[in-house]
Amino acid sequence: MLNVSNLMVFFENALALNDFSMEVKEGQIVGIVGSNSAGKTTLMNTLSGLIIDMRIKEKRRGGERITVYGKVVFNGEDITETKPNDRVKKGIVLCRERHPIFPESDVLENLKIAGYLKKASRVREMIDYVFNLFPALIDLKSKKAGFLSGGEQQMLAVGMALVARPTLLLLDEPLLGLSPMMQNLLVEAVKGLRNNSGITVLLSEQFARPVLPMIDYGYVLENGMLMLTGTGQELMDNPEIKAAYFGV
Amino acid sequence: MKRRKERIDRGIKARSEDIFALSSYREMFYLLVPRAIPVVGLLGVAPFLSPYWKEVFISTAVYALLAISWDLLISAGLVSLGQSLFYGIGSYVAGALNYYWGWSPLFTIPVATLVGGVLCTVMLLPVLRLRGIYFAMVTLVLPLMLMRLVEATRILGGTEGLTGLTPFPNPVTSFYIIQIALLIALFGFRRIIDSDYGLVIRGINDNDRSVMSAGINIYWYKTQILFLGASVGSFAGAFGTHVDMFAGMPGFALDYSLLPVASAVVGGMGTFAGPMIGAFILVPLSEVLRALGALRIVFYGLFLVVFIVALPEGIFPYMQRKYHQFERWVEIE
Repeated sequence: MLNVSNLMVFFENALALNDFSMEVKEGQIVGIVGSNSAGKTTLMNTLSGLIIDMRIKEKRRGGERITVYGKVVFNGEDITETKPNDRVKKGIVLCRERHPIFPESDVLENLKIAGYLKKASRVREMIDYVFNLFPALIDLKSKKAGFLSGGEQQMLAVGMALVARPTLLLLDEPLLGLSPMMQNLLVEAVKGLRNNSGITVLLSEQFARPVLPMIDYGYVLENGMLMLTGTGQELMDNPEIKAAYFGV
Repeated sequence: MKRRKERIDRGIKARSEDIFALSSYREMFYLLVPRAIPVVGLLGVAPFLSPYWKEVFISTAVYALLAISWDLLISAGLVSLGQSLFYGIGSYVAGALNYYWGWSPLFTIPVATLVGGVLCTVMLLPVLRLRGIYFAMVTLVLPLMLMRLVEATRILGGTEGLTGLTPFPNPVTSFYIIQIALLIALFGFRRIIDSDYGLVIRGINDNDRSVMSAGINIYWYKTQILFLGASVGSFAGAFGTHVDMFAGMPGFALDYSLLPVASAVVGGMGTFAGPMIGAFILVPLSEVLRALGALRIVFYGLFLVVFIVALPEGIFPYMQRKYHQFERWVEIE
């Protein structure tokens, strides 16, 4: 479904991603695991196309020059230079890190904004689906999103991404700042997405413990370099991963 | 073979960043040149200018002062669209002191600087809690309001204004007074904003809640910056009023509000030198274009648009980067 080959991303002279290649097959949950500054967010921005926007903005401000080399192929089509809005139309939807919601609007409005370009009936359908997935949001329907707790905001953020009807959902650090209980809830929801709706999920995360058991395939990044790949089980059995991420 | 352009600090920049800058004349020269250019440029050109261009230079410097004052306010996140408030208040205070009590410019200008600063600060104090566009709206409205107040109540000369004020002894004096004031504002404000105090100011612009969380009363700091900015604007007004020998409603004109903003955008915001350079391009340019008559504004606007599209970061940050860094092609893999 998604093929990334020899991706290199420079922020001015700093190399954020170095010769990174990966593949995501349809119906899989693929995980990118790595510590801070591993290049997870850069990868997500490159896949969603946000980096193109960042590149233009930085250039206009005379800021850091962003250079991208390599190839991103989605369903057989080269999308390396495709704009982020066109990528969403193709089905790649990113849920950015740190709860990207509209704090001044209420929950229902947030979901409606996310589906603005879709047909009203489809949006209603998707909103029902989101409320089904996260029943906790139903009671918060008309509450301002800015006053939601971190976990509720993250649920809403994932819900917003879903309303845009992705075929490939990119989740950037979905567990950031959530309690273990909330983490479990979200992990179950992501599993449900794959099993019930057939949405392919690519998620990046620092917390390997809740993530590794659910992924079909994983990539371990460190300082922009690909260190290890394997299925979730293989990665969990790897002694280095055990030492670095599980403290065993 | 793929290539990309690399941006690297010049060796001399790295060397001149610490005490070793003093070890060779080359490094000292490197540090000195950018700082010497405005000093020599502003103070040294006087003999080469015709009387007409001297006048232009003086009014340019007045706009540059207003632009620098605008830039100081923007460093603290205060978007001001009312530099003419500062200019007008300064001009009326100095004008009134001179007109009614016969004070000489030697006293009216310093007093107007301080009193103008305090008056403007007090006037804007209630809206200091507002941010962004709300603060901007109030600063935009206040000078227009004061203008109508003068017109309606006929105080301070009403629509006629206060005329026949004491001029400066000669054009050379006024020329040097404004240039030196401009240099003091430029280097002084740069010093302030580079200090730890400036760190707080820039922090307020960046994320005021974080600054509050550090136990700092941001409104007190905003008040101080507002007073500094307003004082500089009032100085420009007091100076301008003695140059024109007139204080009146035109002091609140929109020109004094908008040109500083345009200068800052052209020159590069938050750098102080940028807005000054911007003013020194825009004001003389508008004089040169005077020959075109009504088409002047068209070309002026066109220039602004082209400039903002082509170099959105501003002239000064661009020059700064070229001075400190070089670029070269490198091959990857």
